[in-house]
Amino acid sequence: MKRNHSKRKKSNLRFIILCTAPALLAYIVFMIVPTINVFRMSLFKWSGFSANKQFVGLDNFKILLDDQNFIRAFQNTVLLLVVVTSVTIVLALLLAAIMSTSRAKGKNLYRFIIFIPNILSVVVIAAIFSAIYDQEHGLLNGLLNLLHLSSWKHMWLGDQKIIIFSVAAAMVWQSVGYYMVMYTSSIANVPDSLYESAALDGATQSKQFFSITLPLIWQNIRSSLTFYIISSINLSFVLIKAMTGGGPDGASEVLLSYMYKQAYTNSSYGYGMAIGVVIFLFSFLLSLIVNQVTKRETLQY
Amino acid sequence: MKKKLLVGLLSAAMLSTMLTACGSDKKNAGTDESGKKELNVAALEGGYGKDMYNEVIKAFEEENPDVKVNLTISKSIEDEITPNMKAGKYPDLMVLGQGRAAGLTESLIKDKSIEDVSDVLDMTVPGEDVKVKDKLIDGIVGNLNTNPYGDDKTYLMPMYYAPTGLVYDQHLLAENNWEVPATFDEFFKLGDEAKAKGIDLFTYPTAGYMDSYFFAILANVGGLDFYDDVMTYEKDIWKSDKAKEILDDTAKLLSQYTAKSTVGNANEQDFTKNQQSILDNKTIFMPNGTWIVGEMADAPRSDGFEWGLMPLPAVNEGDTRYITTSVESAWIPSEAKNIDLAKEFMAFLYSDKAAEIFAKSNAIQPITGITDKIEGETKAFYEIYNEEGVEALVGGFASTAPVEGVNIKETLFDSANSIISGDKTVEQWQEELNAASEKLSEAKE
Repeated sequence: MKRNHSKRKKSNLRFIILCTAPALLAYIVFMIVPTINVFRMSLFKWSGFSANKQFVGLDNFKILLDDQNFIRAFQNTVLLLVVVTSVTIVLALLLAAIMSTSRAKGKNLYRFIIFIPNILSVVVIAAIFSAIYDQEHGLLNGLLNLLHLSSWKHMWLGDQKIIIFSVAAAMVWQSVGYYMVMYTSSIANVPDSLYESAALDGATQSKQFFSITLPLIWQNIRSSLTFYIISSINLSFVLIKAMTGGGPDGASEVLLSYMYKQAYTNSSYGYGMAIGVVIFLFSFLLSLIVNQVTKRETLQY
Repeated sequence: MKKKLLVGLLSAAMLSTMLTACGSDKKNAGTDESGKKELNVAALEGGYGKDMYNEVIKAFEEENPDVKVNLTISKSIEDEITPNMKAGKYPDLMVLGQGRAAGLTESLIKDKSIEDVSDVLDMTVPGEDVKVKDKLIDGIVGNLNTNPYGDDKTYLMPMYYAPTGLVYDQHLLAENNWEVPATFDEFFKLGDEAKAKGIDLFTYPTAGYMDSYFFAILANVGGLDFYDDVMTYEKDIWKSDKAKEILDDTAKLLSQYTAKSTVGNANEQDFTKNQQSILDNKTIFMPNGTWIVGEMADAPRSDGFEWGLMPLPAVNEGDTRYITTSVESAWIPSEAKNIDLAKEFMAFLYSDKAAEIFAKSNAIQPITGITDKIEGETKAFYEIYNEEGVEALVGGFASTAPVEGVNIKETLFDSANSIISGDKTVEQWQEELNAASEKLSEAKE
């Protein structure tokens, strides 16, 4: 009997291994190996094509420290991260709270409209915003004209001090719907009884939001912070590639677009991979820090 | 037991399909099943279309019945062939010029992975009794575009050439009784007159298009020796008086005479808006090439619009003016399998038969006497080579080993955006150019 049991356990184990092996293999081949390769290639000087790879140790990272363009790209990335995350999180929470508490008519329609940008291709978003930011016939400058605020008019994509905020606005517009839906669903999980008793005790809507809603959905907000970091880094690359090309004169370059430029158009593949390593470590560490800082005791309802 | 076997078999089958899916690509041998020799040609599908390649290949196969030519052609040819190249499968012959965003040709030049084709120049054109080099226009071979390392070995054969300069609307100038400016003084004077009418003098699609402008002005002000010194990163060349003069004049053009909306539109998404401003007669000149006619063929335009192309005006009266000439290249990767056959095909590309097919699609090869065969709007563009005091200029920056984080073309061209908006001074620009030139000079060996 006992022997039989252990045999069964063994065959179970074998079955589990066989079932997970293909997925595990794919994960190793397509995720782990390339990541290790990125780290390895960052130690080489290689154009990307030739058989001639030259080991240079940490030289690529030393060059990075002196590269003004890289530093500017890093600053832009951090700026986008902070601006986009803080604006999106506030807007998304606000909208989510309104959507779940108010009894306004057509709530579903609003939710639908706000969510739409998220399913659009980034290239389409770039086209939409280039029409909004157009200097002469653009929606934004046209509106300012109408309101007699001509002094506020700007070359939204031509001014080096403004362009990164123009990009940030497009990113917020794109992502707010997604996070709103995410927060709405977690707010929906909070039992109504809590709100009812709070209302009986005379708590206002905003008091309810900060004392009940926010603490109870804190875990969701926490996990969404990691999404913000990842998606800001990725989305900014695609958007900049399609909308500004990193210009004017590198003013809107972000880490990933600069990495792409170096690796694929400046024949410095190894250097590009060094930038890749920096991005990897940066987003990894940042997620870790954010995760630690926002740690709270989990509240149950 | 049976079940276990089944599971084992299933997962083995799954694994093997996964693995074979990765490695089932056809072997790239020199011959196919029928014993025919195979030649793999990859070409960029530019504004000339792809039919001409199919026709030329057909003509080549007729003359060489034992050869089968496989053509890969695409508007983004780099994306299609580089994965194979990284896996070691190279095409035998490439038709792709420099200056593309992907920079594939440049990468291989920097790598020294391109075959020396100097001997093709001495080959007899198949079916004719002339040597290739005797058919080519003077001066088209032997510059940095064909001999990228600055020695006497040719690595890239010149394929199609096209003049680039300042394009404008001939009708707009005629209508206002404005002369086509021949010097920078006249150029700026015209700018002042136009400004009074609310028309700007200058714009560019994106800063990258300024290459044609900068190469021409460098040669115009400093002469060809100076131009070569700049292109080969001579020490302190950007600190010279001539360089300063060029940057100052350019800064004047950019900050005082360039349409203010240029920078905001100078990106991938909106550059056609800058091109449209020429068609709308809001701006007079922009640097561009012959392809603009086809590119903007469907765009609305002002009444009577007629394309014109002029060489960059001379900064100092009497100096030779230059037409930056863009030249596409044909080349053979060192790793190609059929180098001899590729060279034969290369020589065939310069035959009368092939040239005629190419010319029909407006792809003009640098072959003596071919301009007589051009017709239509294109003819007007090629006629600028016949103007007095005007010469063709081919080349570009010399290739060096890659230098991380340094791209002198970007430093030179993209700064135009910052000069217009006032984010950079001429001194900063000069300083950056000097630093970049210095670093590339060290990498040149």
